[in-house]
Amino acid sequence: MSPVTPGELLLQVCNLNVSYKTRTGPVSAVSDVSLDIYRGEILGLVGESGCGKSTLGRALMRMLPRSARIEGQILFHGREVLGFDDRQLRELRGRGISMIFQDPMTSLNPVQRIGDHLTEAVQVHESDGGKADLRQRIGTLVERLGIMRQRLSDYPHQLSGGMRQRVMIGLGVVLSPDLIIADEATTSLDVIVAAKLLDQLREIREEFGVTIILITHNIAQVAELADRVAVMYAGRIAEVGSVYDVFDGPQHPYTQGLLRSVPSIKLEDREELYKMPGEPPNLLSPPAGCRFHPRCPEAMSICSRIAPGLLPTMPGRLVNCWLYQEHSEKDGPAARTTARGAA
Amino acid sequence: MAVTTPEALRTQTAAVLDKVGFLRRFLRARIWHGAEWYITVLGGAILVTVAGVTVLAPVLAPHDPNEFIGAQFTVPGGGRQALLARNGEVPIAGDADLAGVVIGVQRNRNGANLAKRLGAEGVRFEDQQALVGGLKAGEVDLILIDESVGQELAAADSQLELVATGLGLRFVLGTDNLGRDITSRLIWGARTVLGVALSSALLASSFGIPLGLLSGFVAGRLDKVLSLTMDSIYSFPGFLLAIAMATMLGPGVINVAIAISVIYIPTFFRVVRGQVLSIKEQLYVEAARSLGARATDILIRYIFPNVIPSVVVVFSLNIADAILTEAGLSFIGLGLPPDVPDWGYDLSKGHQFLIAGYWWMITFPGVLISLVAAGFSLLGEGLSEMLNPRLSET
Amino acid sequence: MNSPSGAANGTLVEVRGLTKWFPVQTGLLDRLLAGRTDYVHAVDGVSFEIRRGEVFGLAGESGSGKTTVGRLVIHLEKPTEGTVHFDGVDLASLSSEDLRRLRRRMQVIFQDPMASLNPRMSIRASIEHPVRIHFPDDREGHEGMVREILERVGLTPPEIFLDKYPHQLSGGQRQRVVIARALVTRPELVLADEPIAMADVSVRALLLDLMIQLKELLSLTYLFITHDLATARYICDRIGIMYLGKLCEIGDLREVYAHPLHPYTQALMAAVPVPDPHGRRTQPMPVGEIPNAINPPSGCRFHPRCPVARLDRCSVEEPELRELRPGHRVACHFAEDFL
Repeated sequence: MSPVTPGELLLQVCNLNVSYKTRTGPVSAVSDVSLDIYRGEILGLVGESGCGKSTLGRALMRMLPRSARIEGQILFHGREVLGFDDRQLRELRGRGISMIFQDPMTSLNPVQRIGDHLTEAVQVHESDGGKADLRQRIGTLVERLGIMRQRLSDYPHQLSGGMRQRVMIGLGVVLSPDLIIADEATTSLDVIVAAKLLDQLREIREEFGVTIILITHNIAQVAELADRVAVMYAGRIAEVGSVYDVFDGPQHPYTQGLLRSVPSIKLEDREELYKMPGEPPNLLSPPAGCRFHPRCPEAMSICSRIAPGLLPTMPGRLVNCWLYQEHSEKDGPAARTTARGAA
Repeated sequence: MAVTTPEALRTQTAAVLDKVGFLRRFLRARIWHGAEWYITVLGGAILVTVAGVTVLAPVLAPHDPNEFIGAQFTVPGGGRQALLARNGEVPIAGDADLAGVVIGVQRNRNGANLAKRLGAEGVRFEDQQALVGGLKAGEVDLILIDESVGQELAAADSQLELVATGLGLRFVLGTDNLGRDITSRLIWGARTVLGVALSSALLASSFGIPLGLLSGFVAGRLDKVLSLTMDSIYSFPGFLLAIAMATMLGPGVINVAIAISVIYIPTFFRVVRGQVLSIKEQLYVEAARSLGARATDILIRYIFPNVIPSVVVVFSLNIADAILTEAGLSFIGLGLPPDVPDWGYDLSKGHQFLIAGYWWMITFPGVLISLVAAGFSLLGEGLSEMLNPRLSET
Repeated sequence: MNSPSGAANGTLVEVRGLTKWFPVQTGLLDRLLAGRTDYVHAVDGVSFEIRRGEVFGLAGESGSGKTTVGRLVIHLEKPTEGTVHFDGVDLASLSSEDLRRLRRRMQVIFQDPMASLNPRMSIRASIEHPVRIHFPDDREGHEGMVREILERVGLTPPEIFLDKYPHQLSGGQRQRVVIARALVTRPELVLADEPIAMADVSVRALLLDLMIQLKELLSLTYLFITHDLATARYICDRIGIMYLGKLCEIGDLREVYAHPLHPYTQALMAAVPVPDPHGRRTQPMPVGEIPNAINPPSGCRFHPRCPVARLDRCSVEEPELRELRPGHRVACHFAEDFL
């Protein structure tokens, strides 16, 4: 199990809280999240719908709706993103961080040619530079992504779904950003096209050295592609670690349960699926203490009263669970330092 | 279940809201909907008030709307009836007992009624000059004239003195050219206007909704024929059509209601048909088919209940428009018989006398027509926003 | 597999040469200029059978026609060609009234629970509706049937749920209501169209388990439509893989998964990610994309993308389903190479 190669620290999230205003009160979509992202890695941010992963992704680029309240710190190259003014934000988006969205059909302007999409993206950031040069640059880029240069004069509806997704990747990559956030980029794609997209993300990481955050609810995709994985549940991070460590030895009960409940196509894998009781909580009134405790087979009395913190159990391995932490009020088994095996 | 998708958000907040009572939901809606809530509530308030007035008309109206009881053209506030007396004689105070007093009145029924009411005997004169002359000649003890004229006369003739302030009758909004109290006419007129508007909306909806349901659901040739018919009616300028129908049908409250309702049948039809077409494609309708439900079952239990919200909105807007159309018809003299108090009629008369400076005859009916039409419109638009919210930021 | 249809030998549904073409919506001008109508070849000549008591899976990507086949099997759509026999009866031969009555025996669980429940009907009303349609005479028994099925799907005690509306329930509960509604009339065949795709990941296992339990309890037969081969593995007994309107491979699930013989099946299985970083895919994916169903490729529809296609044969001749291993049929000219 190769530990994550610690490259330079690219993005640091510290105690981030994001809440939405709703009719009946504030909804805590992201609660006290801290995360480090290293240059050149692929981080899988995985969780069920409503766990806050998309909110977190958008918060990094300050792309949340106006009704959202953000608190905490987001440091990109050491600079505080939450304090950026409009000009700095525009610089950040596209150049520093870019996003690949879920549904390429609605993310592309139907009355704009593909080539124009790309040139416009560049021109927003680089007002100088000759047009011919720019076209050349973009032509080379799309060919590297597997799109023929001639297709640049087509409109989005003339392309197939997979091509459009590749254009989205092109838009994400054209300004050579440091970080690409792929937000459920494969969710509306067929299985084979999705597999190709994952291949493509791997390739652009090799070719361009870009860092990728893969946001998905499909934990198998994370196993397929990521170097490190962060598991989120109900707005909080449950567990972080290298993909091998987490999949071979999940420590948080949620991760353990999730891995045992996900179907696997391999015939030799387990026959019985673990049926996790209950459902993901209503974030209008989340459970007190640890948000997973109502469904947790290992819940202790402290779990329903006080929330644990995301603390390291090993270098590079963080778990948000009382099983691995001490507290004066805790009256259960002592914290374990060895990983619990998956069933 | 997930919170951050708009669908789930609505689900969860709806679930919580169902636990609290209606009043609290009502107030909470204010926070959620913001401007639309105020609009809707304002519209609702106007309507409730008008509806209350309509119902309580006999109690509220100070006078009979058709009775010529006021002085001709009484200014708003009732104005004071000036009685002129011969210089120095017969001081009159407040609600004096005028039995046995002879009062000269100008030649119209109005004055004679007033004299009778005051318990005095009335003598008619042709015009104002003759009236004043009669007073001076001693044929009458007092003459009854409008206050605005009184000042002039008193100023012109030193012998004459103004007496009898505030003689009993007050007309809050003034009177029309025939001395009819405008307030009462407005209150009673509300019944007419709302009655016609409401009945025309009911008529229009009772034809338009079923036809729309059928057309949208059955589709095919029936749909094509109906749509074509309805579109033709719709494309015809509404007011002209109303005029044509009113002329054809002749005068009468019912006929006016029918005439107006014809214009709005296509609107109900189109809205309902459009809704049916989109609801037909919904998964739960297909699920009903897969259960083995009969077509009528699907139409009544699955499609119709989901169509109702938009119908409510159209109904409200329909009434607003009907009010204006009805006023328009009366304005040009079509439809309602003259003994039925009606705002549109008042408007038309007021228009005639505007040049004479009697502004109150046209202003108050006009304001009320606009207010009530606006009230229904606001209610309709507000409801429309609240029931079919735009995809705005949460 | 040309056994005569009928209850006697355990075949519940028999599909022969099923074809469905949808006319492409074009404007008047396009029609005038083009001079002909284009058709989407959603399903082309599909034949299979579903045995009583089994879970028959139909898997494929978008455009494969699997959903359309499902709808054709329960006659929510009429086939352009071909037949569907349910318990020996040709569905096309039934009058609309007979068909309506037959629906008691074949029900549907749709993908989106929120969209497939009438938002203005209470849970009681939604579940009672099929009972009222098919058992109109037994009015007193209706409530009992509704309560019983709610308990069976795990919505206990039923009282709390009866008067609620769909928006008041959680996603998992809604899907259980949909299942309850489908099963309350004790059908024989249940068409499950991606029934767990919209449920939360941690809840899917529960729903799958529920469906399996209910199958045993109520002697059901499922036609399980899915794009997720990993899910299919847990519930299906037999499986058919579809591509662009045709069946490429069909057989016992464990057999097909252990020995996929069609190049498309192999690619599809390789494409499914495995939740294990040690099992990362090394096999490359087929080139190109699923083509347009309006003008499908000639011969074998997969040939433009197939890594082993030999153009002289594959682009000319459409392969037939052939039994290459016991109970396992493949539509590929060169499937023997994979044996």
